[in-house]
Amino acid sequence: MTGNSIRAVGAYAPRFRITAEAFEEAWGQFHASGIEEKAVPGADEDALTMAAAAAKRALATDGSDGDEVSHLAFASTTPPLAEADLTSRLGAALGVPETATRRFHGGSTRAGTSALADAVAADLDDGLALVVAADCPKGHLDDAVDHAAGAGAVAFVLGGDGAATVADSAEYATPYPGTRFRQAGTDRTEGLDVTTYDRTAFREVVTGAVDALDADPEPDAVAIQAADGKRPYRVAGALGVDNAAIYEVATVQELGDTGAASAPLSLARALAAGVETTLVVGVGSGAGADALVVVHDDEEGVAADLALDGGANLSYAEYLRQRGEVTSGPPDGGGAYVSVPSWKRSIPQRYRLEAGRCLSCDALNFPPAGACESCNGREGTEPVELPGTGTVEAVTTISQGGAPPEFAEQQSKSGDFAVAVVALDGPDGGSVSVPVQVTDADPGSVGVGDAVTAEFRRIYTQEGVTRYGCKVTPAE
Amino acid sequence: MRDAYVVGAGQSDFGSFPDESYRSLFETAFDAAVDSVAGSIDTDNFDEAVVGTLGVGGRQLGLSGPAVTEHVGLHGVPTTRVENACAASGYAVRQAVQAVKSGMADVVLAGGVEVMTDASGDATKYWLGVSGETEWERLSGTTFAGVYAQMASAHMAEYGTTREQLSHVAVKNHAHGADNPHAHLGFTCSLEDAMDAPVVADPLNLYHCCPTTDGAAAAIVVSEDVVDQYADEALRVAGVGAASDRVGLFQRDSYVNVPASAEAAATAYEMAGFGPESLDFAEVHDCFAIAELMAYEDLGLCEPGESGAFVTDGRSDYGGEVVVNTSGGLKSKGHPIGATGAGQVVEAFKQLTGQAGERQVEGATRGLTHNVGGSGGAAVVHAFEREEVGA
Repeated sequence: MTGNSIRAVGAYAPRFRITAEAFEEAWGQFHASGIEEKAVPGADEDALTMAAAAAKRALATDGSDGDEVSHLAFASTTPPLAEADLTSRLGAALGVPETATRRFHGGSTRAGTSALADAVAADLDDGLALVVAADCPKGHLDDAVDHAAGAGAVAFVLGGDGAATVADSAEYATPYPGTRFRQAGTDRTEGLDVTTYDRTAFREVVTGAVDALDADPEPDAVAIQAADGKRPYRVAGALGVDNAAIYEVATVQELGDTGAASAPLSLARALAAGVETTLVVGVGSGAGADALVVVHDDEEGVAADLALDGGANLSYAEYLRQRGEVTSGPPDGGGAYVSVPSWKRSIPQRYRLEAGRCLSCDALNFPPAGACESCNGREGTEPVELPGTGTVEAVTTISQGGAPPEFAEQQSKSGDFAVAVVALDGPDGGSVSVPVQVTDADPGSVGVGDAVTAEFRRIYTQEGVTRYGCKVTPAE
Repeated sequence: MRDAYVVGAGQSDFGSFPDESYRSLFETAFDAAVDSVAGSIDTDNFDEAVVGTLGVGGRQLGLSGPAVTEHVGLHGVPTTRVENACAASGYAVRQAVQAVKSGMADVVLAGGVEVMTDASGDATKYWLGVSGETEWERLSGTTFAGVYAQMASAHMAEYGTTREQLSHVAVKNHAHGADNPHAHLGFTCSLEDAMDAPVVADPLNLYHCCPTTDGAAAAIVVSEDVVDQYADEALRVAGVGAASDRVGLFQRDSYVNVPASAEAAATAYEMAGFGPESLDFAEVHDCFAIAELMAYEDLGLCEPGESGAFVTDGRSDYGGEVVVNTSGGLKSKGHPIGATGAGQVVEAFKQLTGQAGERQVEGATRGLTHNVGGSGGAAVVHAFEREEVGA
């Protein structure tokens, strides 16, 4: 099979982690075997922000810009909106051209591998394909789905000349109702938990897809769907590999169930490790599976930037807060009203830090509107994209009760937060100051003079519309 | 241009008054101002009225000027509402002075009113942030406490200013406010109280932040042509200065001072013909403790960076070089946004007419008021001098 090949891979997981022990302490037992700890999205994260974080890493490690992408695919079972084309926002955050082909894959944890298989076959018109899978499933708090539910995102850059080729692919589907599903109108995934039936479904679709490949892949590693840390190994024998071939590239034991990103994250790990032949099996309940054989040319190598390390452990109570399980939602008092149309006009600034360079005095302006911050002239500005690094000039920590109402819900979920004025670096020297929230950091740890980098996050939600934009995190 | 004089000024109590409306509070202030005039003044004497209010809570956002002047019997008098956030009524006073100096009016009422304590906590927080730069600054997650805290962080990094120095501002102003019967928080506090209070926006704690307050204040500004009809001695408006700046802190030239304050002060001093060294007292805009420290520097009471030591050395207290915030300031007297600037003039009137009681600065002849909108998007400074005007 020929087609587009993988040039680079990026991955991202939230810094928050909760351990199996924390669940055992809260519940008396932990229902997700084989998971030691799992990733938990912060209050300002969702599948879209994680997707952007992974995709930025993939593009950067490839040395590519968003404007080279001609095919953008986003796969998730947990998009923050059930209806709305989120690829437009993802594309805007990455600078993907408005005319690029866009595809959303959802509704099944197969979505990530399906998106990858489609991109391999896509006509890229000399451009790049960017395939992003991101997921953060939720279950009912007392069942195995939620105990296993993790978070993570992975992105692949494909082109005509990548070092990792998809040598073969196949799929298989047959009805197995009740194995894993999410009813319309809810954010909780569930399953009937009929043990033998579930295992049979998994085994049939996995082996069905693999058997449909043109040849026995004889893989060095198997990147396979992992709803928990035990089920994948039940098919090791049937796939002709030992457990280590699965375990060495697995992420479930540290990130939990990452849904549509599960098998793709394992592929990312395999590519980063230089594995020669990887069998990728994405499984969707209901049930179906994709099998892809990815062969890695060692001499070329696939560029990889996997940011999957944890940074802060949560107690179970903090886990409930962070996810909004025990908070009361937005306050009644209303918030600052910035209309959706006026927010939309500022998306180049919010998503990509597009500043303006004064045509008269060359000073950087942010936002680029009105009289120049430096010379007061009104000759206008030319757009300049800021690289997203900067230095804290002034900073405070907003304590409980001190947040404006539009941030009250976030604060009840994730606690005190820092807000800074940051001098963002210009692309060719100089800087421009921007007020910005600090995320992914203990607020007290951020001081004047500290280096920070920009991240794409949820800012606040009003009228049902989540406004995304820029926050900063301490520089690594 | 002819001179303008303040011949009367009065205020309601500042505090939280569930039984009062914005109109009844304004009426109390108006009556107090009228009563404070040495001679007799009647509603028929007013040529003009200027009312500062932000409209916290939204109650009467449109025509909020006439809504209070009609209530005190001034219907028919041209009334303008001035909105410049927390500097609303400082600008109302300035507009009254302009009307008088221009010759268009001989007697002008300049006042302000705000009701801030009758809404839920969330609704109040919404209103407290409406004067920040909304699209970027506020949506980074701050209210004003946060923006002033950012300035404090920069001031600390630049000059080594300390939390203890910030706390000394609260101790001083509460000591002054304890002697002011109109004060919202008219009690003393110890340095320990002011150091250990809960954090609002680091490094600012509760004692570094002024309260939200209900209240009204009014001043009567008249021309030199009629001043002797109302008083034997009055406050001559020796200087007035005002300046605007970018609404968002992040677009300003400096985070360690309020450039609009410095510019307004320079203008006022130049017009007055005297400078900070000849002031006996100053009512400055201490919405947050760092704001008072920055005001010392912007008004030229001390050199840049020396404000922390200026307060801890007692140089801004009784017995010092210039007594700052004899009324208790926004911190102790309270901060009913639209009434604050006029309220500062009330204190200046009391000090310069010898009616400040326990708070009297002995022999006061020159004083200053300094009113800031937002985090420095607008500032206005008045310099007053006591003058014999009797016939």
